[in-house]
Amino acid sequence: MDDDISDILASISSSTTPHQTLDLQALTRAWVNERTSPELLPYPTSLIDRVMERLKKQIEKIEDMTDTLDPKANFTLVILQTELERFKFLVRSFLRARIAKIDTYPYHYRTLAQQQPELLSNLEQQYLQSHQALLSAHYHSSFLSTFPANLQKLDDTAGGISMVDKPDEDQAVFCRVLRDAGRVEVQNADATEEIELRRGDVWVLRWSAVKRAVHRGDVELI
Amino acid sequence: MYAEQANKLVLDAKRIQNLPHLPPYAATTVRAVTKEVRDLDREVSNLLAPYSSGSSSTTQSSDGTQQIKSSFSPADDPATACALLVNHLSMRRNKRCLLAYHRMRTDKLEGMCWSGVDVAEIQDASASASGRQSGGGAATSSLSAEEEQYVHQYSDLLAAYKGQWTDIDLTGSLEPPRDIFIDVRVLRDAGEIQTEYGSITLTRNSQFYVRQADVERLIQQGYLQRLS
Repeated sequence: MDDDISDILASISSSTTPHQTLDLQALTRAWVNERTSPELLPYPTSLIDRVMERLKKQIEKIEDMTDTLDPKANFTLVILQTELERFKFLVRSFLRARIAKIDTYPYHYRTLAQQQPELLSNLEQQYLQSHQALLSAHYHSSFLSTFPANLQKLDDTAGGISMVDKPDEDQAVFCRVLRDAGRVEVQNADATEEIELRRGDVWVLRWSAVKRAVHRGDVELI
Repeated sequence: MYAEQANKLVLDAKRIQNLPHLPPYAATTVRAVTKEVRDLDREVSNLLAPYSSGSSSTTQSSDGTQQIKSSFSPADDPATACALLVNHLSMRRNKRCLLAYHRMRTDKLEGMCWSGVDVAEIQDASASASGRQSGGGAATSSLSAEEEQYVHQYSDLLAAYKGQWTDIDLTGSLEPPRDIFIDVRVLRDAGEIQTEYGSITLTRNSQFYVRQADVERLIQQGYLQRLS
């Protein structure tokens, strides 16, 4: 895929800059990370904005080329459209993975997003709020309204059990180290140990152990 | 027995997970469970009534649960304390079961919204499914009135969120695209569609080689079938 895009860019525009290829890499990485990590990752606002901007340009370009009806352009057109569909797929799958996580742990992320505003995009924030409003209205009209007042809450923590579900931070993830990332603690059956994350290493670790390194971009999930 | 009805709901929810359609809403069971909760609550207040003294017997604490500040001490009367505890836990359990059941159903409905099924179609499909089960009698929708409302509101919400991403069809296929042109066979007449390469009339049993992005929706809606 990397080869595809650099070829295309080289043939159609002279203003080829490597940062566009980097964006694709970053998007692919964000997509894989988001799909494999048990927790929601911060929303890459600027990356998505750049990608959307380029998608729009690419669509315009394709429309222009279709209008000219040059038979020689057809082949380029097919490649361009394939590339475009692939990009669209990446963004779509990325956003859907996020929405799925938001829907699974709505209350958890709502409280978390208040502390870390960069976690959700504005749109996701709106979606989360209105979805929760809808859900709780639905529960209330279905049965909660007939409950005794002290049992009507949805985010109760009384009685020793919290009603707010959380993602499992100790889930194991496969990861590859991109830059030396220091040492992390790992637990085996009866003791804790430290391991060194060296560039190029591949590990199976608990998400909680590599979480910070992934946020920094030192480690990617695979 | 306590929570027996609620257990039914949970089993039902478990069953719904693997069903392609949504079975009828268990309105009777839901009502029975809520009634049980109210009865239990009344019993708790009756049990505690002799112990509460004065107007300041119960206070609302910050997390909304009622803290019992009565003269009742569990050590003096273990039997009553036990009854209170069991009632209390049963109420919570019932609530959890109800929430689980409703959540399961709404999840299912949301999934339908995402996969592009029309709201009216959801109601129709579930109605015919329930009609078949009850021997083809008067087919009523298997959604409760609240659920129908919820589906409407959720699809509005989804449309609003989707509308912000104009260039990307969020409800599109989650399969990585391999080819931009695909072979499709028309299963039902779908009329004429406009593509960048001119318009195509989709008549039944005909076969076309078209751009995937142009016919994605029609495949989801079952008008076209993709040929591998």
